[in-house]
Amino acid sequence: MSALSSVLLWATLFAPLALLAACFVARWRTTALALQWLAPVPGLCAGVLKLTNATSSMETSALGFTWKLDAPGALLLAVAALLWIVVSAAVWRDRAPDDRFGISWLLTMTGSLGVFVAGDLVAFYLFYALVSIPAYGLFALTDDPARRRAGAIYMAFAIFGETVLLLAFAALAAFEPHGSVAIHDVMAALPTSPWRDVTIGMLVAGFGMKLGMFPFNGWMPLNYSVASIPVAAVLSGAGVKAGVIGLIRFLPGGAPLEGAGIAIAVLGCVSAFLGVAVGLTQKNPKTILAYSSISQMGVICAALGLAMRDGAFASSNLAFYGLNHLLVKASLFLSVGAIIARREPLGGLSLVIVSALALSLAGLPFTGGALAKLSVKPYLDGVWASALTTASSIGSAWLMAHFLLRLKNTPDEYAGETPAAIITYWRAIALGAILLPWLFYPAVGDVSKALEPIELWSALWPVAVGAGLALAQRGFDNRIPRIPPGDSIVIYEIVFARVSALGPALENLDTRLRHWQVTGVSFVLITLALLSAAILG
Amino acid sequence: MTPLIVATLVAASLVGIGVYGFILHPHPLRKLLAFNLIGGGVFLVFGIVARRGSAAGLPFDPVPQAMVITGIVVAFAASAIAIAIIVRLYKLEGGVDLDPALPRKSDGESTES
Amino acid sequence: MMELAANTPAGSLLVLAILLPVVGILLAFALGGRSAERIALGLAPLSLALAVAIATAVARAGKPVTYMIGGLQPPLGISLRADGLSATMLVAVAVIMIAAMLYARAKFGVPEGSGESRSALTFWVMVQAVWGGLAMIVLSSDLFNLYVALEVLTFAAVPLVCIEGRPEALVAALRYLIFALFGSICYLLGVALFYGAYGTMDIILLSQQVEAKPVVWVAAALMTTGLLAKTALFPLHLWLPSAHSNAPAAASAVLSGLVVKGSFFLLLRLWFYVLPALQAEDVMRILGALGSVAILGGSALALMQARLKLLIAYSTVAQIGYLFLVFPLAAGAHEWSHIGWGAGVMQILAHAFAKAAMFMSAGLLAESLGHDQIARLNGAARALPLTFLTLAISSVSLVGLPPSGGFVAKWLMLQAAVASGQWIWSAPILIGGLMAAGYAYRILTPALRHGEALLKRPAQPRREAIALALALVALGLGFTPESFYDFIEIGRPLTMGPSP
Repeated sequence: MSALSSVLLWATLFAPLALLAACFVARWRTTALALQWLAPVPGLCAGVLKLTNATSSMETSALGFTWKLDAPGALLLAVAALLWIVVSAAVWRDRAPDDRFGISWLLTMTGSLGVFVAGDLVAFYLFYALVSIPAYGLFALTDDPARRRAGAIYMAFAIFGETVLLLAFAALAAFEPHGSVAIHDVMAALPTSPWRDVTIGMLVAGFGMKLGMFPFNGWMPLNYSVASIPVAAVLSGAGVKAGVIGLIRFLPGGAPLEGAGIAIAVLGCVSAFLGVAVGLTQKNPKTILAYSSISQMGVICAALGLAMRDGAFASSNLAFYGLNHLLVKASLFLSVGAIIARREPLGGLSLVIVSALALSLAGLPFTGGALAKLSVKPYLDGVWASALTTASSIGSAWLMAHFLLRLKNTPDEYAGETPAAIITYWRAIALGAILLPWLFYPAVGDVSKALEPIELWSALWPVAVGAGLALAQRGFDNRIPRIPPGDSIVIYEIVFARVSALGPALENLDTRLRHWQVTGVSFVLITLALLSAAILG
Repeated sequence: MTPLIVATLVAASLVGIGVYGFILHPHPLRKLLAFNLIGGGVFLVFGIVARRGSAAGLPFDPVPQAMVITGIVVAFAASAIAIAIIVRLYKLEGGVDLDPALPRKSDGESTES
Repeated sequence: MMELAANTPAGSLLVLAILLPVVGILLAFALGGRSAERIALGLAPLSLALAVAIATAVARAGKPVTYMIGGLQPPLGISLRADGLSATMLVAVAVIMIAAMLYARAKFGVPEGSGESRSALTFWVMVQAVWGGLAMIVLSSDLFNLYVALEVLTFAAVPLVCIEGRPEALVAALRYLIFALFGSICYLLGVALFYGAYGTMDIILLSQQVEAKPVVWVAAALMTTGLLAKTALFPLHLWLPSAHSNAPAAASAVLSGLVVKGSFFLLLRLWFYVLPALQAEDVMRILGALGSVAILGGSALALMQARLKLLIAYSTVAQIGYLFLVFPLAAGAHEWSHIGWGAGVMQILAHAFAKAAMFMSAGLLAESLGHDQIARLNGAARALPLTFLTLAISSVSLVGLPPSGGFVAKWLMLQAAVASGQWIWSAPILIGGLMAAGYAYRILTPALRHGEALLKRPAQPRREAIALALALVALGLGFTPESFYDFIEIGRPLTMGPSP
């Protein structure tokens, strides 16, 4: 058993890397790119193997790194691999091979699968960087100004997040007494670290940038609205989950942490409602989906924060919430593309399916979303928490109903971005996304509980209220002020422009500094400074 | 005023004058002269240092003298290279300005060949 | 640990390591410019083998390899000494030198049938002189001998800058020369004061005798600033951008990758080998602060540059800044000093390889496109894929993304900063990384976009491969085994490393 599991872990990482290596040989490149859909297969197998043999430990080491798969990792890995297989197969069936896009795709895929199996800090950081940075090549390498802007902003947040995480990881490693960088060891040492709260703060900020958490949410709507349909599907589905697994892995459980926990919960709450509020002012379905992601990730953060407050280990349940979002959000993006590409009025079965899919995010009964709500419920008890949860469900339902009503506004250009296979099979994919979570739920809880009448009712009425609100919104929709996609990003851009404007002044300063007399004086001053520091010190 | 004090003062003045000239005089030739003045001062310091040999019973310490000679050779070589470049520049350009021009535009076009 | 050993068995290798380049220079003069290239390339593998042999000897013995020239013990004699750090440097120098020489063959080679040229002879002689000077710097254990080595290095580097004879290159070379002379004369004054106080120049003897008194501080301050000037630490960088961007690419690679590390190496020698007991906290902080200013200033200026070569040169200004964080982060004998020391050495190596690769790529790019204006790079990656792959990989290391030497350096630096409670240093480290990402973005993204780049000259895959190989070394440094960090502690006084 252990031999099989190490082989699968190995293959999870090396299958995409092998294809990537093949891309550097001109003769193999076309074949390698066409076979991309095979690369995530070992990851899927590894995830399923772990889920069916929960007790077996999957751990191996290669290249000096530790690779480890635990239950939350397995949940996300299996579904992310599935998504990559489906989308890759569809994309590369009818796409002319494009090296830049293909290599970016493979690199992002490697990172996306790798974060779930990384067992130490350095490996996690490596794959986290891979899932973040090459994704730029999937949508921004054009001359289109909107895409370039979105790309530059995406890159800025990605690099900034990496930077904050690097410091956080260094702090984690520095206070591990035995010099180990295994995630398990550093997390055991974190509660006693003298810089515990600062470290937690940096971790939340770093992963928050990936999750679009307030106030780092601006890049996400820009990115998803310019990315092509399949790219938006994998990035919003699988890519963002790197942040979810990051928070699951790196937020401490086991001992109650009141202050930090509540702070995170509040931040999550703000994101959850901000996402809904700004999303309701948007018209483009892709942008609305992006704001829905911000909101959903906010819910995860809030639940995580509350779990941390109580000292509970929330990992598998939250991973399940992430799993549901992964499937639903990716399928929603694919459905948007497929529906516009079919150019026929939405009705009948198609309408039912896409509505169920959308409202799954609000916890519609019998969908995976109902299970997802159920899985995080234990952390959201208490008067405030349950009131906010209900409000958030209503908000999600409102936003998703708004999305459904706005589907007719889908810009025509998205039709051309949608792979033919997705156009044909989108209903199957959507149904899969609604139902697959039922298959995975036994890993975290009891399925029958979701079918109790009281649960059904408490899941149903917020959805109904939300849908009603969305219908009501149509009456005054034109009077709602339009917030530009990316909301707060406008402020960041102004600040950035101000800072960039200092450039010429800086260059002048440099030229002056390089004048001989100035340098000579600097020389003397440095000597004196060193001397006085040495003598007085 | 013992000879030691005189030598020390001279060395200090040479270094001081040299540093002053080096920083303030714009012309490279003067900078080179200033460098040689500082060098002279430093070599004098070596000479002063050589007196400590007398404490060990020798008339003087031979090691610093060897170093001074090496130093002079190095300074000579340095001056020769600098002069060669200066002469070359005079032939090509008719003058030398060591400071970068303030609105720095020349860098952009100069080597676009 | 610090007693003066007699010659250790492999000691004579040290003499050979210095002599080989000198022999090459003399032979080149004797046999004329047409054979200079063959002599240099013929001797280079021998020098690499020697460097590896010395490193092996140090690793096997677990202590430094020493050699007394003429059998005379210090203080009268001069000793050569290879410890873990110098052996590492020696190997790195050999690898980069060989790469630069192979790369330079296209420009300075003398094919059959053509007459000898002055620039070719100058290049092959001077590049060997740089190698010899660097070998002397890393192997000498005598402060005055180190002065001579430092000057040899300068005198070899200056002609490399102005080898093409263009006026702006000559001005750059003159600025470099005169400022470097000022730096080394200050260093020499410090040496004189040390000799006056203790009657020896030997690093080991001095380290056993130095005590905190004014003359030592004056000497240390003069030597330090002198070396800062030669290392071009911001704001003493007046010569570096023009010198490094005006030299031919092969020379820029050597100058930026190795030559500035020569004077930095002496700073390490001074503060960690001569004065390890006197590392005044404030002095370390000043050096760290200067380094931080260099990181921020250099990176910001790199972001502004319109020309690729100048951008890379300013990036060197910034990366030199990182080196100086080693002073606050590796000072003293704490557990974190070991981490900080490893970080510093890794930064030297990662930058040397990545920057050499970058300058080589920039040179190829300028030759193929006929310009190195960043604004006009649109679509260039499609025309020169290998060159841009090299630029991308080197950038990964400069930015500090894994897996790369640059990442390991930053990772260790941050750990040392956190563990020592000096959080303040993490700010320049991280902001510098962000800005490095910014300038890498400026080069790489336009090149990856659509667009037609007209090649004035076809790509040169063999030279591109040389640069790529160096970049891959920078990447491979990310997988450095743990034992390397013990190796570079060999012979370092006052350490808490696992092998004291």
